[in-house]
Amino acid sequence: MAIYQDSIRVQDCFGTLHKRAGPSPPAVSFPVGRAAYSLGLTASNGVERQGLPERGNQGQRRQRRAVEPRTERMTVDQDWTAVYPTAASFKPNSVPLPVRMGYPVKRGVPPAKKGNLELIKIPNFLHLTPEAIKKHCEALKPFCTEWPAALDSDAKCEEHFPIQVESKAYVSAGPSLRNPNARIITLTVKLSSLNLDEHARKKLIRLSGERYNKDTDTLTITTDSCPMKQQNYDYAMYLLTVLYHESWKTEAWEKEKTRADMEEYVWEDSPSQKNILETLLRMRPLGEKEEEGEVREELLGRVEVQEYKDSVTKLKNEGETETNMQQYKEAVKKLLNI
Amino acid sequence: MNLPRLYHRLRLTARSLHSSANGQQVEKVAVAVDPDVPSQVSVFRTSENDPTCHTELHAGQYYTLPPAHMRTLFPHGLPPRFQMQMKTFNEACVMVRQPALELITCLRKADYSEPALRYVLYGEKGCGKTLSLCHVLHFCSTQGWLVLHIPDAHLWVKNCRELLPSSSRPGRFDQPIQALNWLKNFKTTNEHFLSKIKTTQRYVWTKRESTEEGRPLGELVDQGVSRVKSSSDVVGALLRELRLQAGGAAEGAFRLAVAVDGVNALWGKTTLKKEDKSEVLPEELTLIHNLRKMLRNDWCGGAILTTLSQTGSLFKPRSAYLPMELLGEEGFDNMDPFVPIPVSNYSDKEFESCYLYYLDRNWLQHPHSRTEDGKKELIFLSSRNPSILERLCAFL
Repeated sequence: MAIYQDSIRVQDCFGTLHKRAGPSPPAVSFPVGRAAYSLGLTASNGVERQGLPERGNQGQRRQRRAVEPRTERMTVDQDWTAVYPTAASFKPNSVPLPVRMGYPVKRGVPPAKKGNLELIKIPNFLHLTPEAIKKHCEALKPFCTEWPAALDSDAKCEEHFPIQVESKAYVSAGPSLRNPNARIITLTVKLSSLNLDEHARKKLIRLSGERYNKDTDTLTITTDSCPMKQQNYDYAMYLLTVLYHESWKTEAWEKEKTRADMEEYVWEDSPSQKNILETLLRMRPLGEKEEEGEVREELLGRVEVQEYKDSVTKLKNEGETETNMQQYKEAVKKLLNI
Repeated sequence: MNLPRLYHRLRLTARSLHSSANGQQVEKVAVAVDPDVPSQVSVFRTSENDPTCHTELHAGQYYTLPPAHMRTLFPHGLPPRFQMQMKTFNEACVMVRQPALELITCLRKADYSEPALRYVLYGEKGCGKTLSLCHVLHFCSTQGWLVLHIPDAHLWVKNCRELLPSSSRPGRFDQPIQALNWLKNFKTTNEHFLSKIKTTQRYVWTKRESTEEGRPLGELVDQGVSRVKSSSDVVGALLRELRLQAGGAAEGAFRLAVAVDGVNALWGKTTLKKEDKSEVLPEELTLIHNLRKMLRNDWCGGAILTTLSQTGSLFKPRSAYLPMELLGEEGFDNMDPFVPIPVSNYSDKEFESCYLYYLDRNWLQHPHSRTEDGKKELIFLSSRNPSILERLCAFL
């Protein structure tokens, strides 16, 4: 009897069920809660077994008692940030949502959340609800300085701080505190805030190539060639300075720019202008006293010719559409007196 | 639209046809008899077969091309599917449509002492550009113009078996077979002009053959037909003569209509290769070179009517139909300034006409196609595109 009592006490202390050879003591006096803490070596099928299993099972592990999931005890206005304070995998017993995920089982619906590996595999953002973000912000506030009151609109920010530099800092716990991605610097600037004339602007756009966005008129320089953030920042500023100054210079070979190199269509000296002048001259042959140069000027100054010029430029620059074609048609008809 | 009601009305109008003589009056009477019926239901054919008299009233109606003129006027001009339709229906019926009417009005009002105007018909695939061009050419020939019709310029830049280096100019290539075919068709169309027009210059073909100044053009054409090797040069000479003499003040003056179908071939790429497998550029072909000279507006006394066509074109995507897409930079700069005329799919009225025409010719055999639902299906399937509608109805 004493031996048995000792063994019971041992079990009381450690709360573990060990495999014991020999008959197991009666389990009547064990509280139900004990079984909940025990991570039994037997696979639990959640079978509710009260009391008696130990008696009948010779050398069998104690079955784990299934308990109601935590979700049953959750109130609607609980503090969710306490349930998922950090990034964690999906725990079906902690998330009170009837989520289903996966390929539908034969007779119809995607499998439920219990034991669903798909839900566990995917990343979740249960730790980043708006409440949680607010708490993070509140926690970070003591480390921040105040936003200057004068900069209350985007336009003012653009005006006073045209160059925007973005960098990322990484915090993680691991063998090393450093993260190589922290050295990348992105510099954005709008070309309208730089002092450029027509030639300089076109040259800058050509030099920057892929880094210029036509729709938003921004130049984006991303540097990551140096190992340190400070070095990359200096390099980006250097690149911007060089681009700016180079675009203002005019090289000797830039004189050889041909029509094919032009960024947009210019009507003067184009085949279209030549054609129309020839046609008009043929329609109204040169008188004796009139000089060709004067006649040209006069013809070019006519309203119809200006309209025609506008329609052709629009066609070539903006591409063809039905409306552009209609406009061109009207202009030609007026010009040729149809 | 109730079909029995339609047939009743058609019978009514047929009765009024017998009672009145003039074609014009028929339409007016028909309209007067059924004032509450929309004009769609009225006669889809017009008896006005002279394109000179076609006006807005006839828009959407079919007129018949007189069979006697067919062979002379269009030996090679009509689209192949239309030719098959002609053979099946035993008549050539063309719909009078708005773009063709616009072009005819422009031609009527134009001043022919000024440089030739260029017109470009453009539109999506299968919407009726070639047939509109043929309609306008019918008008030109009834007015007594000389019609220079190149049915498909794409045929001259691809699939050429024999490519001879040009005898007259180094660096150019001749296409004897194509030139020969075209000359034969030209002769058929313009027989009566060939004896009237005289050459203005002496042309030397070989050491022993030449055409003297002052000979009728017919001799020039015969020279080209008989001596196949020099046919491309003959074409060039012919074009030059016509260009110089069109619209002159002399009593033998004639107006020249230059009609090119698929004009975007002239400035596109070719699929012809030289012996060293390098590509032949269009300007290296004699025929193309001379045709390009013709399309410049440095001559007066006529008009240049052209159509763009994606169907035979080389290296152009199927969805391209706007002038700049098909002509390219070079083509646009050469054709500029031109009057673009858009040709679109059938309007409601035109579709109605076409449908009634097919019903009348018993072309729609399937019983479902004669119902209202069938008609709606046809509209949906073809989205009112003339060629697709024609191909669909061929199955029914």
